[in-house]
This record gives sequence, C-alpha cells and structure tokens, in this order.
Amino acid sequence: MNDDRFRKQRIADELAEPVSEASNLAERLGLTPYPVNYWVVDYDEMNELIAYGGFQKRYPHWRWGMQYDRQQKQGQFLGGKAFEIVNNDDPSHAFLQESNTLADQKAVITHVEAHADFFANNEWFGLFSDGAPPRAAGSEDDGRGPDAAGMLARHGDTIREYMQDPDIDRSEVERFIDHVLCLEDNIDQHQPYRPVETARDRLEEIEGVDVTDQLDELDLSEEVKRQVFDDEWLDAQSDEDNGATFPSQPEKDVLGFIRKHGMAYDEDAEKAVEMTDWQNDVLELMRREAYYFAPQKMTKVMNEGWAAYWESLMMTGERFAGDDEFILYSDHMAQVLGSPGLNPYKLGLEIWEYVENTENRREVVERLLRTEGITWRTFHDVVDFTEVQDHLEPPTWLQNVAGHVDELDPEDPRIDAEGLVAAREGEFDVAKYPWKVLTYEGLAQRHYSLVKPQYRGFVSRVGQAELERVSRYMFDDSRYDSVAEALSDVEYTRGWDRMREIRESHNDVTFLDEFLTQEFVDDNDYFTYEYTHASGDYRVTSTDHQDVKKKLMLSFTNFGKPTVVVQDGNYRNRNELLLAHQYNGIMLDRNQATEVLKRVFELWGRPVNLLTIVKEFDDHDIEVAKRRDREPEPEEVGKRLRYDGEEVTVDDVQWSDVEHLAATDIDYNTKPDEWLA
Amino acid sequence: MGLKDDLERYREVGEERRQDLAEFIQYGDLGQSRGDEVKIPIKIVNLPEFAYDQRDKGGVGQGEGAEEGDPVGQPQPQPGDGEEGEDGEPGEEGGEHEYYEMDPEEFAQELDEQLGLDLDPKGKKVIEEKEGDFTDITRSGPSSTLDFERLFKKGLKRKLAMDFDEEYIREALKVDGWGPATVFEWAREQNIPVSKAWIEDAYDDLPTDEKSTWRSIEQMEAEVEKVDTSTRIRREGVDQIPFRREDERYRYPEVVEEREKNVVVVNIRDVSGSMRQKKRELVERTFTPLDWYLQGKYDNAEFVYIAHDADAWEVDREEFFGIRSGGGTRISSAYEVAAEVLEEEYPWSEWNRYVFAAGDSENSSNDTEERVIPMMEEIPANLHAYVETQPSGNAINATHAEEVERNFRDSDNVAVAYVTSPEDVVDAIYEILSTEESE
Repeated sequence: MNDDRFRKQRIADELAEPVSEASNLAERLGLTPYPVNYWVVDYDEMNELIAYGGFQKRYPHWRWGMQYDRQQKQGQFLGGKAFEIVNNDDPSHAFLQESNTLADQKAVITHVEAHADFFANNEWFGLFSDGAPPRAAGSEDDGRGPDAAGMLARHGDTIREYMQDPDIDRSEVERFIDHVLCLEDNIDQHQPYRPVETARDRLEEIEGVDVTDQLDELDLSEEVKRQVFDDEWLDAQSDEDNGATFPSQPEKDVLGFIRKHGMAYDEDAEKAVEMTDWQNDVLELMRREAYYFAPQKMTKVMNEGWAAYWESLMMTGERFAGDDEFILYSDHMAQVLGSPGLNPYKLGLEIWEYVENTENRREVVERLLRTEGITWRTFHDVVDFTEVQDHLEPPTWLQNVAGHVDELDPEDPRIDAEGLVAAREGEFDVAKYPWKVLTYEGLAQRHYSLVKPQYRGFVSRVGQAELERVSRYMFDDSRYDSVAEALSDVEYTRGWDRMREIRESHNDVTFLDEFLTQEFVDDNDYFTYEYTHASGDYRVTSTDHQDVKKKLMLSFTNFGKPTVVVQDGNYRNRNELLLAHQYNGIMLDRNQATEVLKRVFELWGRPVNLLTIVKEFDDHDIEVAKRRDREPEPEEVGKRLRYDGEEVTVDDVQWSDVEHLAATDIDYNTKPDEWLA
Repeated sequence: MGLKDDLERYREVGEERRQDLAEFIQYGDLGQSRGDEVKIPIKIVNLPEFAYDQRDKGGVGQGEGAEEGDPVGQPQPQPGDGEEGEDGEPGEEGGEHEYYEMDPEEFAQELDEQLGLDLDPKGKKVIEEKEGDFTDITRSGPSSTLDFERLFKKGLKRKLAMDFDEEYIREALKVDGWGPATVFEWAREQNIPVSKAWIEDAYDDLPTDEKSTWRSIEQMEAEVEKVDTSTRIRREGVDQIPFRREDERYRYPEVVEEREKNVVVVNIRDVSGSMRQKKRELVERTFTPLDWYLQGKYDNAEFVYIAHDADAWEVDREEFFGIRSGGGTRISSAYEVAAEVLEEEYPWSEWNRYVFAAGDSENSSNDTEERVIPMMEEIPANLHAYVETQPSGNAINATHAEEVERNFRDSDNVAVAYVTSPEDVVDAIYEILSTEESE
C-alpha cells in the first residue's frame, strides 16, 4: 500500500513542473481554464473512472459495470496508455495514469488545460452551471462552474440509500433508473436547466396541501380573494392536468414533462397511481445529470478538436515534449488522430485549423486588397505569393528566442518585459521556456499558421468568390503602396482571437454548419454513403460538401438522435401520453422505439402512444429497382405505435394526422437523383 | 456497493441476454461464426432509446478518391451511435457487437436441450490402443508419475503402526525391580511396537534414582495415562513420516481401446439459375446449424460440399453458399459425385455418413425416380435428407421432394423437410435430426 503511495507521489513530484508550466503557458496563449487538480491513478482506478464517466462516485448501476468491462477488454485502446480524463467541474479534476510515459503525461496535461478552458468558457456549459443548485455551504463560492463531483456523489448517496431502504426493493429502483435512462437524451438541451416544480411541490412549499385552507389562514378579505385567487387560479393549482389538451406547445423536455405529470402503474390495483417520493426524487436526479452531461455531448467535436489543437501547439510548437519525448509524442498523436471512423479529435482539429487559416488568410487578403494595384479581379495575377510568404515569416529572433536574448527589445509588444528581465538574470532556462519571454502577440506571430509548411499554399488558394466578398465588405480606411507595407500591418493574433470567440458561442451543430466548406471536404476526402436497395449494401453517394454537411449535421443535431416531443398529455381525453416524432426524412428505429414506449409506460402509468412517419417500399419496386439499378421510391406513411401495458399495437394514421411532423425543407438523403443510372 | 457491484449486476443482466438459439438459427448473423466456433450475438445490453433507423440514416466516411457508387463495406461508426462514454472518448464505439462464443459441442448440447433431441453418435472406426487416464499403477516409473498421495498415506499408516508412547515405556522402566527384559515382555503383551534395543537405550539413560519410582506396574498403570497415537499426533504433530521405497507406486495410463466417432457430412446444393438469393439463404440457414451440430456430436467431422446444376462438382465451403450458375438441374449428378467421394475416402465401415441435399425441388424429368431414388437407396448412410427451399410455395414441376418423401415414407434413414421462410428452419432441422434418432 505504501509502496503504491510513494510511487504515485514520485510521479506527482515529477509532474509538478509540467503542470504549473502548462497552466502558465495556456494562460499566455489566451486561454482561461478552470483551475485543474491533477490526480495520479493506476490502471484499474483509471478504468473505474472511465466507467463512471470521469468521476469517482456515481449511483449504483449495472451500466458502469458494462463500461468497465468493455474498458478492460479494450485494454489496448491507444496502446493501453495515455488515457486522459478531465471532468467538467470547477476546479476541474484530471486523472493521469501512472504507467504513462512522461511524454504522455505532458500531452495529457496540455490537452486537459484546453478542455478546462472550454468547459469554463463555452456558453452551452453555462446553461447547466448557471441553473445548478447553489454550492454546499462552506465550499469556495467563487467557483464559476458546477460543483459536479459533489453533485454526482450526492446523487449516488441518495440512490444508494433508497436501494438499501428495507421498504424499497432494490431491483425496482434499478429498473426505474433503466426506464428513465431510456429518455436521457429527451430533454431540452438548448434551455437552461431548472428543477421541475410540480404543482404539488409548489403547494407543499407554502406548507399545506389544501390551498383553500391556506387562503383562509391568510385572512384576506373576501374581495381580494375573489380577485386575486379566483377559481380559475385555484383550479390551475390543484388539477393542472385535467381537462383540455396540454402542453399548449410541443414539449421537448420529455423527462421534465414526465417528472411533472408522470405516474406509476400499480399492477395489483391495475391502475395508475402517484409516483412515490423516491421515484420522483430519482427521476429529478437523473434528469439533472442528463442536463449536466448534455453540453459535453453537444460540443464533442469542438471540444476535442480544441484540446487537440492546443495540445499540439504546446507539445510540438513550444516543445513541451523534451527532444527525447518528441518521437513518442508524435507517435501517440498519430494514433489518436488515426483511429478509424469519424473521429471527433480529427474532425475537430481539422476544422479548428481551418478556422485559424481562413481567418488569418482573410486578414492577409484584406491587407493585400488595400495595396495599390491589387483588386479582387487581379489578385491572382498580380500577387507574388512567394513574396507574401517571405513577409509573413516570423523574424529569426521569434523563431529562436534563446539565441537572441541579448538583442531583444523590452518595449516590443511581442516581448514580455518582466519575462525578459528574469531570463537575462537566469531565473529560468530560456532554451526550455522561450515563451516566458513572449507575450500573446509574440506567441501568435511565432506560431502563425500560414507559414507552416503544410499551409504555405493556403493564401494562394483563396477563391475568386471569397476575394470579391472580402473586398465588398472591407473598410477601405487605409491604402498601402506596397505589399511589404501592407503585410507589415498584419494582425497575427486574428486567427486565435476568432477561435476563442467561436469556442464561446458555438456547439457542434453550428460549428460544422458554419465552417465545413467544400474546400474542407475536398482536403479531407470526406464522402457520404447510403444504404442502397439495388445492391443491398452501403454505397458512396456524394462528395459534395453540402451533402457531407447534411449527413454530419444529422449525426450531431439533437445528439444524433431523432427529435421526439410530447404532443399531448391528455390524449383521447383519457390521460394517455402522445409522443410525436418530428420526422426529418429519416425513420426511427422501430424496434427500439417500441421498447422505449414500453418503458415510458412505466413512467406514465397509463397508455402511451407515438406518432411517427415511416418509409415503406413495395417489394415489387425493390425487385424492379434491382434489375434496373435504380433506387426504389419509398412511400411515406403515418403510423401510431401504442402500448397499453399489455400489448403493442401499430396503426396506420391519416397523413393529415402526421403532416405537421414531416419536415418540409430538410432532406438528409444524399443519393444522386440519377442513382447509378 | 461500488463498481464491483455494478460489474456483478452487469454480468447478471448480460447473462440473460444471449440470443435465443432458435431465434439465432432463424434470423441471426451466421456469418460471424467459423466452423469451430459458433458466435451467438448477445442481445444489446444497451438500453433502448429513440434512435434513427441505421439503414435509413447512412453516414459520412473518409477516404481518398471515393466515387459515387463505390461500396463502402460496413458502415463506419458515427457520432451518436450507441452509448458513448460521457467523457468523450472517440472511436471506440459503433457497430461492434458482443458475442457469446460457444464451441460446436456446446451448440449441439444446447440444441439437444432446446429441441428435445438425443442423437447418440456411433463409434465406427477402431483406433489403436490409446492412453486413457492415469489410473493403473506400477512399482517403478518416471518420478513425475509418482503417486505421492499414496506414498504419504502408506507412510502415515506405517508411522501409526510403528509409533508408541515413549513416555509410557519410560514410566514402565521406572517400576521397581523391572529391567529392560521385563519391560519388553510387558510391552509385547500390551501390543506396543517398541524394539528391545530402544528399551535398553532408554533404560541406560534413566537416572538411577528414578528406577524405583513405582512400586509396581499396577501402580504405574493407574497413575500414568497412556496416550494413544492419534491423540498424540493431533497434539504434537507428525514429526517425521517414514517414506519407504517399497511404498512407492507410479501411475501409468490405462490402455483403452477407443472407437473414434467419425462423421462425414455431404452437403449438396442446387446452384442452377432458379436458385435465387432467398432460396440460397434458406439453404445456408438450414445447413450451417446442421454442420455445427454434427461437428459437435462427433470426435472428427469432415465436410464435403457438392454444387450442381445439370452437372455436379466438389467445391470449398467458402464458395458453396454463394455459387450461382446457369444451366438446368439434374440432381442425380450430385449423388454420383457423392457416391464416388464417399466410396474412395469415407468407407462406410469407418465413417458415419450424412448426405444432405437442398434445392427448390426442380429436377429434370424422370431423374428423381430413375436415378436419384435408387442412388439414395444404394449409398449407405446414417441419414439422407432433402431440404426443399421454396419461399413462394410450390412451383410447377418442382416435385423432387414429394417424390422422395413418397418413396421413402417407411424408411428410417431418409428425411424430407420443407423450408419456405426462416421460421421453418428450426422445424426442418428437428425433422432431419429426429429422423435418425428414431432409428
């Protein structure tokens, strides 16, 4: 036991410097992360943390066991090392696996700092932390973010207590959690989190069950009572869910709606009964967790790309990896980025680099277009791009700071005067930490993207349309006589500034929507594919960026899941639940939907229905399509799935009943019109 | 509670979710399994959720030079697929399935249980004396086969037999007037296994003043309690076990005459033009579990695959279910090849033989009656079977199955089964396997 502690302590000591320097460097690069606490853990502990979604304490549930089991079987993922876990918390907690090499640890640390910056600054994360319950008394109140570890541990305690309560059947609690988890993505993730207050809760808050009694006690004059607390108001308090159709607008927060109006089905009594306290409680805890984790799911590409970008800059650009560690690091990076499929690290990193390059290019192009003799029409003929590249190249002293310490000018905005003094006095090794002598501006120029070998042609590849657009919206406030003069004014920080703005306000959907261009799709060889009935397999359908974007958006919009809303909580005037699938041209997985319905029944206590639209193919059409190598035309049909606690029924419904659910302008099908013709 | 507990619960939940065997045979993905390892998908433990239809969804891939219409193989994992870790580890999820792996023996056992079959394979070929369990014993042998347990037990017995209460004898020597000779006599009477030499040594070591401690042997016996061996061993432990060479025994293997249960399964399939995709799939669905089953039942299973249209030829398993040729149909051509192969390589005296044929019952005129039926009668086999795969019910002139069935109505080694859809597969398998069982 002690050996173990000493070993971890030794590793921790070794990492103390990289940790504090990574944080300093991140700050200098313009990032403002939450403070991060680092923990050294062993392999088993790491697997446990991964299973628990990055936290040490969660509620008891088999799915953590499943994730742990998978994690162990996959042991070789990333060579079984360099696991990185950081959780969205303030302070953030990051975990380093003790068996990682120092190079890996450094990579993880730099990666983690960028994640912590993202957690702290992305507005979507604010939706939860702003609405989260206040921190427990005695904790540091200046925290910007959620008290996530504490919250999840408390949820765990609460649920564990219910499970251990002799009056409650443990497996029933577990089953109940399963039911709720089936709807974990059915929340309104674009709204801030607010705990559900049921009418009953509100009344109980006023302490008392009967409002009429309460009002009597208030001893108000009959007149006031009649005016303010009229019968309508009283009805609204007591029977919110009797009577007409509700909700008035389709409700996307299905979990919240069920929390408010759901009931349990009592098998013995054969009727719906009020949920018990523990059920209400567990439901709200699960809903809160769903809201807590939602921003991470909504920003996966951005967040991973962001972390990969800054990690790479710190590790490679600032040589955070020592020379001997560099190869190991590059190797690791190649593995991470090279993993198959649509990889959020890679996609995100590529888009961030693309954002940086285009923004920097825009800056350069704007300067050039203000130069005498250059217009958007003549741009490609007149501009000597080799000359442009030469001008953009950072001065030698920025590239090799250590070799020029004596010549540096403390007045230069790119030089950190204090850092320079310290360097000259030998307080730190400039060869190791050259960035300590530089400011944000200095670092931006030092790492200017457009001069990197792989992006040298980027400026020259600017399209005519973009040139025209830029010149149209340009402030023509100054003119330059020469290219040299124009480029000496280039703001090198523009790319980074823009990236930080984007990381504040975007999520994956808006990020991809805005920045995925044809150029990007071509550069990265993306394509879409569809299942084709003619060949019975999946075929490439398009390399057009609009199509790639559409498909990608489908994977990211609403967590990559179909949107299902509550349409009616008093369906058929019998208190049945009617859910509606807002059909965007892609069908639901019917089997799963049916299984979900069965579970929703357990949370509603009364029959549950789902309206959806399916595509039906005529067998004959498929056969004909195969012979002619064309795709059959599906017919879209409205269906209602219903589960009444005993059996599932599926009925065709009139098109007019589902018409409001059908998308009119989005078509996610990327098959060419003349498919394989 | 804690993660250990969660893991335990997951195992419990997972156990219940192995795909039902019958369901697997009818609809499962047989292609994941190899001949010697049957992989049965575990029902997805992930909780259901509102998700897109996988096929309808399509996806995005990455690769150089992709052109419209290129096949992409299996869809690549897409974000939003399955349960992803909330910490956002990428690329680890997607289309992967979990499988419950069973070997053919287990498969056969489960199928027996499920269908209530009890096929008892016959041993045919005698293979020369074989080493059985190490149950025989000899007095010499390599030290690794030494039966130490036996040696120890013998030694312990010997110890018990030779052991005596030394204190008790010493006390006897203290009886006034008794010397070694008297004590030896007395010990003999008492059945105490002590040697005269030991008594003499003990007497010499006894201080003179103690030699008259007891007035008489009666007094000594009354005052001193004799401790029996087992009590003493329990109290003091065994200090030394006398291992003797004569107690050593070496185990050696029993010689067993074993009959090896060999089976050869001939799979015959009509590959003519009329055998479209659906029919082919039904054949594969029926034959594959039969192969697994027989492989699980026998020690040594070999398979012969014969494809035929108007002619027949032997093929590899890999090709077998996929071949599609033109031409007409002459089923007897396949039985000719089968007869030849069986005769040359799998003599009836040494091999259990199963000859399974499948097709849509179409055959050239009179071939069934004039050629196939006589050959089925002639080729000795544990079981002949014909599986008709005809998804759309009956076709005109497709009477092979009926003719065979009519002719062999009273036979106990010919089975005919009709498969029109995957639902029929399990029944067909039962029909075929139970035919032999009732033999």
